[in-house]
Amino acid sequence: MGAFDYRQAEEVRDAFGRHHVRYLFIGKSGAILLGFPDTTQDADLFVERSTANGRAIVQALRELGFDLTDDQAVDIERGKDFVQIKNGPFDLDLIFAPDGIECFADAWERRLEVEGFPVCHLDDIIASKEATNRQKDRESLPRLRSFRTYWLSKQ
Amino acid sequence: MREYFPTYTMACTIETMDVRTRNDDDPTHAASMVDDIPADWWEEFEAAWGRPLKTRMRYAFIRTYKPVLDDAPFRSFETTEAYRQWCERNLPDWLGYGRV
Repeated sequence: MGAFDYRQAEEVRDAFGRHHVRYLFIGKSGAILLGFPDTTQDADLFVERSTANGRAIVQALRELGFDLTDDQAVDIERGKDFVQIKNGPFDLDLIFAPDGIECFADAWERRLEVEGFPVCHLDDIIASKEATNRQKDRESLPRLRSFRTYWLSKQ
Repeated sequence: MREYFPTYTMACTIETMDVRTRNDDDPTHAASMVDDIPADWWEEFEAAWGRPLKTRMRYAFIRTYKPVLDDAPFRSFETTEAYRQWCERNLPDWLGYGRV
């Protein structure tokens, strides 16, 4: 399996769009879409927790080639807080309850769109990393905060 | 079918929605914040800003094996806290998933 690439991101966008999935790119993958130059391995998606959205996610993922068992599909439909999927064409983390963000609706209101990709606002990405406070977040936050300043200067 | 997400053609054209805080709108504050960005980071930001998204993604997404984390095809956790605790108990420290 290779790294997540633009074509696969387009496939996610298109499949999720067809099934009306409510989602946002979050984490470093979201920051990269906003222009942040850094490296990451996974695509992280903040997904709205609802039965309808869960079902739509499962349908879209199966369409994309993810080999989900019925039990795995139920976990997604139920909206378990964190789902890590590595049985498809690329690795994907589904996050129903990211640290540092109150609710999906608020993040959706603040979202940004880049070439049709819905992305969490940079402030939400930073807030989430601050709340998680892992070693790897601590290391990336100073540069990410500087990027926020740079990014604002470009608006 | 409803069109959910409009597309943009420029590399970094972003539809912004209330992206600024009060301090961000203070020109003096904003200028000093810009001055605080290390020169090498600024150069990297500038270089990335000029690249198309497709190229930025090619440079950004990499694939390396992460022990334990990559060894199961599917994991799910009832709570984000349970996931964080699982990472701290099971992943090597050097992966950086432990909380500070």
